[in-house]
Amino acid sequence: MKLLLLLLAASAAADRVLVLVDNMSIRESHSIFFKSITDRGHSITFKNADEGSLQLIKFGELQYENLILFAPSADEFGGTITAAEIARFVDQGGNVLLAGAGSNVGAAVRDVAADNGFEFADQLIDHVNYDSVLDDGTHTTVVASAKSQLMEAPLIVGDRSKLGPILYSGGALVAAPNNRLRLDVFKASSTAYSHDPTKPIKDYPSAVGRQAVLVSAVQARNNARLVLTASLHLFSNQFLSATVNKEGTKPSPSGNKAFVDSLAKWVLKETGVLRVKSVDHHKVGEKEPPREYTIMEDVDYKLEVEELKGNKWVPFDGKDVQLEFVRIDPFVRTTLKNKNGVLSARFKLPDVYGVYKFLVDYRRVGYTHLLDVQQVSVRPLWHTQYERFIRSAFPYYASSFSMMASLVVFSFVFLYHKSDPVVAQAKKTN
Amino acid sequence: FSSEMQLVQVLQKLFDDYVKTTSSKLKIIDAYMFYILLTGIVQFVYCVLVGTFPFNAFLAGFISTVASFILASCLRMQVNEENKDEFNGISPERAFADFLFAHAVLHLVVVNFLG
Repeated sequence: MKLLLLLLAASAAADRVLVLVDNMSIRESHSIFFKSITDRGHSITFKNADEGSLQLIKFGELQYENLILFAPSADEFGGTITAAEIARFVDQGGNVLLAGAGSNVGAAVRDVAADNGFEFADQLIDHVNYDSVLDDGTHTTVVASAKSQLMEAPLIVGDRSKLGPILYSGGALVAAPNNRLRLDVFKASSTAYSHDPTKPIKDYPSAVGRQAVLVSAVQARNNARLVLTASLHLFSNQFLSATVNKEGTKPSPSGNKAFVDSLAKWVLKETGVLRVKSVDHHKVGEKEPPREYTIMEDVDYKLEVEELKGNKWVPFDGKDVQLEFVRIDPFVRTTLKNKNGVLSARFKLPDVYGVYKFLVDYRRVGYTHLLDVQQVSVRPLWHTQYERFIRSAFPYYASSFSMMASLVVFSFVFLYHKSDPVVAQAKKTN
Repeated sequence: FSSEMQLVQVLQKLFDDYVKTTSSKLKIIDAYMFYILLTGIVQFVYCVLVGTFPFNAFLAGFISTVASFILASCLRMQVNEENKDEFNGISPERAFADFLFAHAVLHLVVVNFLG
């Protein structure tokens, strides 16, 4: 029994990663990055991008949980993999990490990026922020400041204030304006632009300044995650272990290692994953939910949420989870009190009967979408649950019964009175 | 004489004649009707002040007084000796029996509607 539990716990991160490369030397030149992934329990399969036996989905089941595309020049993927197949892979919950390049981006890679609302622009050039040692003179090895160019999303990028300068050498992504699910994780600085460094500039560059996105993240509505970037060098051993030398600043170690580690942890679904452990609701004072609730009753609601941290499910500590009691529109909206992962609320049901939902719909940047719906009926009062006698109607009750009593009294008096002899009517005289 | 004095005198004469010429049987019915009238007015004023909340209760109480008043006036008409020729074939005993029967029905309905 214990062994089974251990196996189950270990399998939380024992998922398979398929890495497609366009030449096998990437396996060595990016070994530190790949080793960090395998150290965390994933199993990596390296394949050439155009290998004929590639298959992501076999008989409707995913063959891998994650896909890393480090093949920027691939024009066609081998086997059954196409951009459509990768879209199906994401639809079934697979995560994708895609790295492009500044130049010579293959059609297959462009297609995948286009499916997610991104286009590749030319090589990124920054004449102000470049590494004076690593750059080859074209100012394409760009130094980015973590604080000003990274998004405020600790789950995706880690602690911005602790990251050193990040080295980047590659192209840029341009996002379609209607791409609503995207997160611009890492933007270029305002002095950067993207263009072919060997050609003189005649046209306006395709991506300029902060519009050029260096790393972008997308969390699909089924919580599958994609991270797209236009630089393979971002993950290379050279950049991960380099010291950044920028004119005017002291040499300092690059922040690439911490940055790509956070990115990898986010995209491989190791951080920012929430799940509902249990949910229940009942009348205050009882333990089980009734068949249906009655209007104006006091109700207790309890939700237990767990977060995946370091391969273990720990109680979630979010303080801003809201509960809505909805019948088409929310009648009650309250923030749940968090006590060590147990979120609870107590409120009074509205005075309106109907079919309601206890709805928790928690969307935060970097976290998976947490949705829990419990449908309940709320009935009106039975006719025996109303007050029997209404205080304000007492005068009417009194008058009705007094009519009956006075009838009895009148009947007795009328029947048994002794009538006096009638006084002879005096003739009317004028 | 001024007009107010005349009005007062007329009313006084009316009241004296009433006392002298109506039989005690009819006076009993009149007293009963006066009581019903009072309770009806009190209820109506209460409803105007407080509002119609249990409207069914107000209607039951008010209709109870109004209908009792009507039945009492019918009884008064039928037992008045001066109207003997009008109600040929309806003895005062019959009138009283009809009165009681109608009241039984009235009070059943009122209690039902009172809620």
